[in-house]
Amino acid sequence: MTHARKPSMSTAALSPEELTRYARQIGPGVLSVAGQTRLKNSAALVSRVGGMGGPAALALVMAGVGRLIIAHGGRLIAPDLNRQLLGSERTIGQPRAAHFADSLRSMNRLVTVESIDHEPTDREALELTRRVDVVLSCAPTFEERLRLNSAALAAGVPLIDAAQWGLTGTLVAVDPGRTACLRCLYPQPPEFEEMFPVIGAIAMATGAMAALEAIKILSGTGTPLFGRLWMIDGHRGLSRQLDLQRAADCPCCGPSARPAATDSRRP
Amino acid sequence: MNVRIVWAGRNYDLAASLPDELTLPESASVDDALKMLSGCLPHNRRLPGTCLIAVSGTHLGCLQSHRNQPLKDGDELLVLWPVAGG
Ligand SMILES: [Zn+2]
Repeated sequence: MTHARKPSMSTAALSPEELTRYARQIGPGVLSVAGQTRLKNSAALVSRVGGMGGPAALALVMAGVGRLIIAHGGRLIAPDLNRQLLGSERTIGQPRAAHFADSLRSMNRLVTVESIDHEPTDREALELTRRVDVVLSCAPTFEERLRLNSAALAAGVPLIDAAQWGLTGTLVAVDPGRTACLRCLYPQPPEFEEMFPVIGAIAMATGAMAALEAIKILSGTGTPLFGRLWMIDGHRGLSRQLDLQRAADCPCCGPSARPAATDSRRP
Repeated sequence: MNVRIVWAGRNYDLAASLPDELTLPESASVDDALKMLSGCLPHNRRLPGTCLIAVSGTHLGCLQSHRNQPLKDGDELLVLWPVAGG
């Protein structure tokens, strides 16, 4: 069974240049021409684009996802450079979103990259999610992850949540209304640790795997991780997958779920 | 019976002081194992209620609200302290 989504944009065919550009990922064991065409006509939201979202966004751009929206606030600081590969020593002190978008554009001029210079509010998350075919949640707080989860459920768009701590990472894929959502897993937001420890390598690995799930979902390739949590423990070199259970009383995807709330902090 | 323990996620470094296997009575449940595991934590440390609990690959909920079920010999109990780093 494939999970290719209806493209959000036109269904433009691949150009000769695109067929050449993506030649190594079209064929047996990878994408079909139809799958690559679906990527071209798809859009993804990645919030945020630091240690995990940066590599995820880069992998999506390189794979030929036609339109990418990235969201990230603040300015780049030196400690970010152990993991935020869209930054560089030349951009320390600069606003991240615009520079990260330029970095992505420099990798593939055949795709469109939009940037937002802050973390989306509830309302923005919902509006952005309605413009895309998949959401990659790569935020550093559970508050933002759960906000993206609510928006994805309200918009009926798949969500991929990537998270990490130290040398470990987790990945969850949500098929809205069909498999467990993040709120099913976390009825109460776990505590937030602002200065979480991180080795860039695990952040990049987890982000890259999140991108792979997005590519599979968008192109209709392979079996998505829907309904499962993948835990990668780089400290001990082990991984586990869990079959996730939906919570019958989930306020986000259960029978009493209401449309995503809006807030008034920003228009 | 013996149950393997996998402690994962945030603060996985605590696992260095925890057993990777518990020996439990034949009728023991998930809650029995979790109680024994809590007793193995260093002084003043406790598991947060938001930890995900799974047995042999099946998610049962979080520590503060999960399905209790009998364990069997060879099961693997996973306790995953949620992570949110970006
Ligand atoms: Zn739910």
